[in-house]
Amino acid sequence: MSLLIAQGVSKSFGGLKAVQGFALELPERGLYGLIGPNGAGKTTVFNLLTGVYRPDEGTVKLAGRELTRLRPNRIAGEGLARTFQNIRLFGELSVIDNLKVACHLRCPHGMPAAVLRLAGHRAQERALAERCGRLLEMFGLASRAHEQARNLPYGDQRRLEIARAIATGPKVLLLDEPAAGMNPQEKKELRTLIRSVRDTFGLAVLLIEHDMGVVMDLCERITVLDYGKVIAHGPPEQVQKDPKVIEAYLGAPAA
Amino acid sequence: MNGRAWKNMASSDANLLSLITASRPGAAPTLLRSALPVVVIVALAVMAQVVLKGLLGGYYADLAITIGVNIVLAVSLTIVNGFTGQFSMGHAGFLAVGGYVSGAVTYYFSLTQWGSAAAAGGRLSGMPLSTEGLAWLGAGDVLFPVALLIGGLVSALLGLAVGLPSLRLRGDYLAIVTLGFGEIIRVVIQQSGPALKTPEAAEQAGVLGMATGLGGALGFGGLPKYTSLFWVVLFAGLTMLVAYRIKTSTSGRAMLSVREDEIAAEAMGVNTTRTKVWAFVIAAFFAGIAGGLYAHKLGVALGPVDAGFQRSFDIIIMVVLGGLGSISGAALAAVVVTMLPEYLRAVADYRMIIFALALILMMILRPKGLLGVREVWDADLWRGLFRRGKSAKGGGK
Amino acid sequence: MDQLLQTLKDGVTLGSLYALIALGYTMVYGILKFINFAHSDIVVLGAWLSLTIAAKLLALMGIVDPPAWMGAVVLVGAMVACGAVGFTIERLAYKPLRGAPRLNVLITAIGVSLLLQNTGQLSALFGTSPRRIPDLLPDTTLLSIGQVQLKLLDVVGAGTAIALMVALEWLVFHTKIGRAMRATSHNVNVAALMGIPVNRIISFTFVLGSMLAAAGGFLWALKYQTIKQTADSSWVLLGLKAFVAAVVGGIGNVRGAMLGGLAIGMIEQFGAAYLSSSMKDVYVFTILILVLLVRPSGLLGKATIEKV
Ligand SMILES: Nc1ncnc2c1ncn2[C@@H]1O[C@H](COP(=O)(O)OP(=O)(O)O)[C@@H](O)[C@H]1O
Ligand SMILES: [Mg+2]
Repeated sequence: MSLLIAQGVSKSFGGLKAVQGFALELPERGLYGLIGPNGAGKTTVFNLLTGVYRPDEGTVKLAGRELTRLRPNRIAGEGLARTFQNIRLFGELSVIDNLKVACHLRCPHGMPAAVLRLAGHRAQERALAERCGRLLEMFGLASRAHEQARNLPYGDQRRLEIARAIATGPKVLLLDEPAAGMNPQEKKELRTLIRSVRDTFGLAVLLIEHDMGVVMDLCERITVLDYGKVIAHGPPEQVQKDPKVIEAYLGAPAA
Repeated sequence: MNGRAWKNMASSDANLLSLITASRPGAAPTLLRSALPVVVIVALAVMAQVVLKGLLGGYYADLAITIGVNIVLAVSLTIVNGFTGQFSMGHAGFLAVGGYVSGAVTYYFSLTQWGSAAAAGGRLSGMPLSTEGLAWLGAGDVLFPVALLIGGLVSALLGLAVGLPSLRLRGDYLAIVTLGFGEIIRVVIQQSGPALKTPEAAEQAGVLGMATGLGGALGFGGLPKYTSLFWVVLFAGLTMLVAYRIKTSTSGRAMLSVREDEIAAEAMGVNTTRTKVWAFVIAAFFAGIAGGLYAHKLGVALGPVDAGFQRSFDIIIMVVLGGLGSISGAALAAVVVTMLPEYLRAVADYRMIIFALALILMMILRPKGLLGVREVWDADLWRGLFRRGKSAKGGGK
Repeated sequence: MDQLLQTLKDGVTLGSLYALIALGYTMVYGILKFINFAHSDIVVLGAWLSLTIAAKLLALMGIVDPPAWMGAVVLVGAMVACGAVGFTIERLAYKPLRGAPRLNVLITAIGVSLLLQNTGQLSALFGTSPRRIPDLLPDTTLLSIGQVQLKLLDVVGAGTAIALMVALEWLVFHTKIGRAMRATSHNVNVAALMGIPVNRIISFTFVLGSMLAAAGGFLWALKYQTIKQTADSSWVLLGLKAFVAAVVGGIGNVRGAMLGGLAIGMIEQFGAAYLSSSMKDVYVFTILILVLLVRPSGLLGKATIEKV
């Protein structure tokens, strides 16, 4: 059975049907792509999967558990993590604190333990520092651990967002245009990074990306959205040749 | 990317994660380290009462008490307005609730138990013992902290009632709800009956009569004046300690993340509503304590205006000027804002106009307040202060 | 029966006043998405300016009883002056913060509010003691039913408020600038892309709101005659209630603000008449909490989802 299953997911904003009948089956360790012209509804799909928006219809299941009506923080707890198209880091917090926040939902010791500085709290802080430090090392951010996140260069911010998503301990990682604004060199590194993330952490990844080079190279299967509807789904070579996909892209200059 | 780090991680992130989820206390003796700051605070409080009071003399000791109360208020409001970025504008409402509740407890307890509302003595309050107490403590030394605690708890409960409906919502409704809350508290206090003067009258009126005999518009006079440098330093210290310990814990980081980006915080697993409500309730608790300290301070006539918006705005000014989210910043601002009018006549006359202009200019020039979220002891603050241009625009979005 | 009529009358006169003030909150919120805390201080300014203009005019002309046209002059004078103040505030305090986090704008608004309150109290300006406005209208009773008297004052007050609201409704829904306002309120960025001079529209909105606030202050002065110092807490309560009216009606919605104002006026008056008058401020607040719990988007407002 697939790890993440979405069925018939729809959402309208007023008169605009942003997403209609979206369906997806993402297997364990799968690396899938979600593409489509600007405004096709890709980001909205992510928002629906992660509970930021409530679907009007349809169901989302992760590892057999229903996510549909849960609040975003619970969905994160079930193992669905994401990045945002327009970076949403905690700018005033230090780089390492950004990761520590993301560990929040795995932390058993809360406010009373913190106020009394109980032994559990101290052990937890040590474990947090250890794990988040290691994650930063992996993402090449260790030297910047104590800088404010908003002072990082753009590429580092993108990577920190991925690291932060991983820090939640997810089963599935959703990446919204991670290569946007990167130069070719950074894009190349990003490709390696995404693959390593999948392999090292044993995650399934769903990737929204405009850069066809990145998508075609990385993704095992691709879903194409246009005007909120899935117009094609399949392996990259097949999708690339699909006349409907070609039409959607030629019709949309911004792609 | 760091290849070696990835190799090491391959098998171990799950382990590291489970280290967090199961974080077991280590063998290290932590009790001492946890309790040490509290011991230090108590020691400082005793020294303040025994040594400092004499050095300062009456007028300055009194000013120091006012500053201490304001520190408790400013630091507690920092937990809401600074840490979580929600904007409470009715902090004085909680101050008044705490003041009136603890005042009612000490006043009517003394009246019914000892036949007089006058202070039953307390060593920690620097008073002679007039009734026989415990071994060497006076009755007031026990009654006062208990009353403060009750005031704080009632205040926190009200905070829960006000916070739950308004903090669910995104946006700035909290500001308006809390502003309304403070004004309502003021109006309700005005409706209360006159304070009962004799044990017989109190006896006759019963608990309900005593709870509603709070002096009305005239104010609640005749409270025993327990508040001393000891109590003020103790609670100012404890409030700062608690705020600091929260700020440097998972709960505190969750609060800060809510303030930075609520949507991202939620997506990273932070229960934003719960986080905000907690912050609000804790702030209300300490504001209640501050109210109790204020109510029992010499020369204070607790009245309905203490719940009003002007008092709340005073506290907001301290929090904003000090830095939204900085504990030491708020405390410093509390000191400056309290002392400035005492020293500069010009400031006293145009006090609020100056502070209003300071607020407006601060938002344009240095939107995060003087210190931002940082503390005076954070090293990067000092670097940050001298490298303005880049950070002045603020706002992670 | 008498009491019912009386309460209805009071509810309408008070409600139309709240509605007038609520409009300023709702228009600014609609466009800039922040609570303009200084709005109620413009109302206060309007009241004090009305008093000052009336007193100066009388002194200038050397008469005691004002002629009938004077009320209109005072109203227009206060509205123009407050419009100018509103314009200045927007330009100096709010405009530099376009695009800043909402919290900062909110704090600025609090700063502006404090500034207006405390500047107004300077002895060179309005001082700290309450003053009485000259009687601009004769104390004529137009109609009495039983104990209930309908006075000229009531009719002029509610009439002015309603006339201004009709004018605003026309402006917002039937003119070009009104359409630009609605477009800006819908989405500032898109409106700017469409060639709407967004900054001018925002300024215009502030001026409009401030003029309505001035009218509110004028009517308040007519109704209650004694005007309290600018930092008095009763003004804060007035602003608070008007804001609650805007929220009840659906913040950002012009018709909602009118409806909400009327509703709040009625609730307050009926509560005061039939429950307890000393607690009348509490009812309004209770309504706010209920609305936030049950229908945060208000009576006429639409729930919107923040775009992520
Ligand atoms: N919260 C919202 N309110 C109104 N419209 C929205 C909202 N979120 C997205 N939309 C609309 O839905 C459509 C799809 O947007 P989006 O999912 O961001 O597209 P994509 O990510 O594919 O570029 C767009 O027309 C967008 O304007
Ligand atoms: Mg998108």
